[in-house]
Amino acid sequence: MSTVNTPQALVEMRQIGKAFGGVQAVDDVSLTLYPGEVVALLGHNGAGKSTLMKMLAGAYPIDSGEVLINGEKAHIRTPVDAQRCGIESIYQTLALADNLDAVANLFLGRELLTRWNTLDDHRMDSHARKVFLRLNKNFKNVRTPVRRLSGGQRQVVAISRAIYFNAKILIMDEPTAALGPEETAMVGQLVRQLKAEGVGIFLITHDMPDVFGLSDRLAVMKNGKLVGSYRTADVTEDEVLGMIIAGKQPEGKTQTHSL
Amino acid sequence: MNPVLNSLKQAAIDWRLVMMGTVLAAIAIVFNILSGGLFLSPENLYNIAQQTAVVGVVATVVVLVIVARHIDLSVGSVMGFVGVLIATLMYTAGWHWVSACLAGAAVAIAVSLYQGALTAMLGVPSFVVTLGGLMSFRGAAFLVADGKTQPVNDAFFQRLGGGFDGAIGVGASWLLAGLVVLALAAQSWAKRRAKASYEVPNNPLWLDAALVLVPVAIVLAFVAAMNAYQIPSKDAPQGVPIPVLIWAAVALVLSFIVHRTRFGRYVFAMGGNPEAAALVGIPVRRVTLMLFALMGVLITVAAMVSIARLNAGTNSLGSSMELYVIAAAVIGGTALAGGSGSILGSVLGALIMQSIDSGMLLLDVSIGVRYVIIGQVLIAAVVFDVMYRRLTGDTV
Repeated sequence: MSTVNTPQALVEMRQIGKAFGGVQAVDDVSLTLYPGEVVALLGHNGAGKSTLMKMLAGAYPIDSGEVLINGEKAHIRTPVDAQRCGIESIYQTLALADNLDAVANLFLGRELLTRWNTLDDHRMDSHARKVFLRLNKNFKNVRTPVRRLSGGQRQVVAISRAIYFNAKILIMDEPTAALGPEETAMVGQLVRQLKAEGVGIFLITHDMPDVFGLSDRLAVMKNGKLVGSYRTADVTEDEVLGMIIAGKQPEGKTQTHSL
Repeated sequence: MNPVLNSLKQAAIDWRLVMMGTVLAAIAIVFNILSGGLFLSPENLYNIAQQTAVVGVVATVVVLVIVARHIDLSVGSVMGFVGVLIATLMYTAGWHWVSACLAGAAVAIAVSLYQGALTAMLGVPSFVVTLGGLMSFRGAAFLVADGKTQPVNDAFFQRLGGGFDGAIGVGASWLLAGLVVLALAAQSWAKRRAKASYEVPNNPLWLDAALVLVPVAIVLAFVAAMNAYQIPSKDAPQGVPIPVLIWAAVALVLSFIVHRTRFGRYVFAMGGNPEAAALVGIPVRRVTLMLFALMGVLITVAAMVSIARLNAGTNSLGSSMELYVIAAAVIGGTALAGGSGSILGSVLGALIMQSIDSGMLLLDVSIGVRYVIIGQVLIAAVVFDVMYRRLTGDTV
């Protein structure tokens, strides 16, 4: 690929570190993400991938290192800071308040207000219905507490946050782990659509078909360190597993940190 | 499916509240029969309404505290402390009641913020913090006036507590009832219009009409009962007692906060899933502190009503009130696990407890038996709560 006209990286994480007590959860990890790119983030449970992404999303403060968004240093200390940078997250736990309805959950923390500074329920209701319908034609029970919804519908609510608030950077933490085949296909479809719109996506997953079906690049972490990052087309499933399990870089393959 | 049943199912009717209302009505009817018509006499209803007000005011905010997965065991002691303080400032220091109450509010908010900060900032369980507070502030209530009872003499202030001159009279009561009826109708109409303009499906007209008529009927019946009560030595009937008005105003403001403000929504979100609340960027600590500050304000209101009713501030004011307040919230459907509860539920819960207590008093049931029964009523309410959630599939 030519080096001229390299597009501006959407996210550039430089030498990020994070320790919990004495445990170095993330150790000197650098990672980039470009517009319209899907980067799969792989590794064992506890490898540090979720922690890394939570730092990008503002859920954990960053101990060391810096984050650049569109080439500019970003100070992400809280989830609200991350949201301002266009970063949206779909957590593995979905981060839904089970006792509230789908509309309230979509707007949680970013409610639409009337000019009296009170909640504008009707406007939120009407906007939310449009987003839900776009993701799932049969989603009608938007006013029941989300704990009564199916796994797929709950996922729709979590995803709709990213869509409604126009995510530029999307973090998806095992988005298909709890879903049936149909809903998994829906998530795959959505990833491709957002990618086409120029959204950059970090995809945390254990699912090899997802990795090879959706991602442009993959990055593997082990014990808080980055093992390597490769173009997905350049490596085989066995090599990826080797990196995840043994932390072994595949021989004769060059690492890629850009498109 | 039957269209009527279907609309009832779609409409956001809180069936638990309907059931509690039915239970309250059943209790009233049973006691009325057993007491030979005494229970539903205007005099008894008047007394129940004004006796419940203090517990009711505090229960509204305790609902929110429990919804947010906290607890406040110190409400009775803090109320005693603030009550004696206000009475002392008025009687011993000679302050006007307004400045005394403002000073009391400042102290109550400071106390609540202190307990709230330990909970919100340091993560000390509120159970422990307020258990300590239960002891400490009872002690503080003693220290304020060295254990001496402080009389409250201001005639205007005394009216806040109800009693002889503590009601607004017949004309004002009917006027108020009229305004409430108009407000209920206007609110329902505005809601239908807003829903239509955003193309959100509306309830059928007959259903919304019924949903307005039920509270209208209750308000009119209540006002009629209060207007029928005349103290023998007075030449005009009482009308709605002022403590009940204060309670109603507090419940209204808190319902507004719950349904119409971000703060209210965040309290419920934090109770439903604290982790999610933090992940979506809700300022959890600030909301917790604000909640405790609100607690301080309403404890002051309750303390004012309470000392006005007793015409004195004593160091035992509000003893074991925390039990009644938490029981009212729980009987009213507030889940101790957090995340669910309603202000109107706490109103019904407080009324149910007071009705049972007062009904047994009318029947000359001994104090021991009354305690036994009220304790078991609380347990029955929680058993019902567990069964109800199991039946409706709610796990919280």
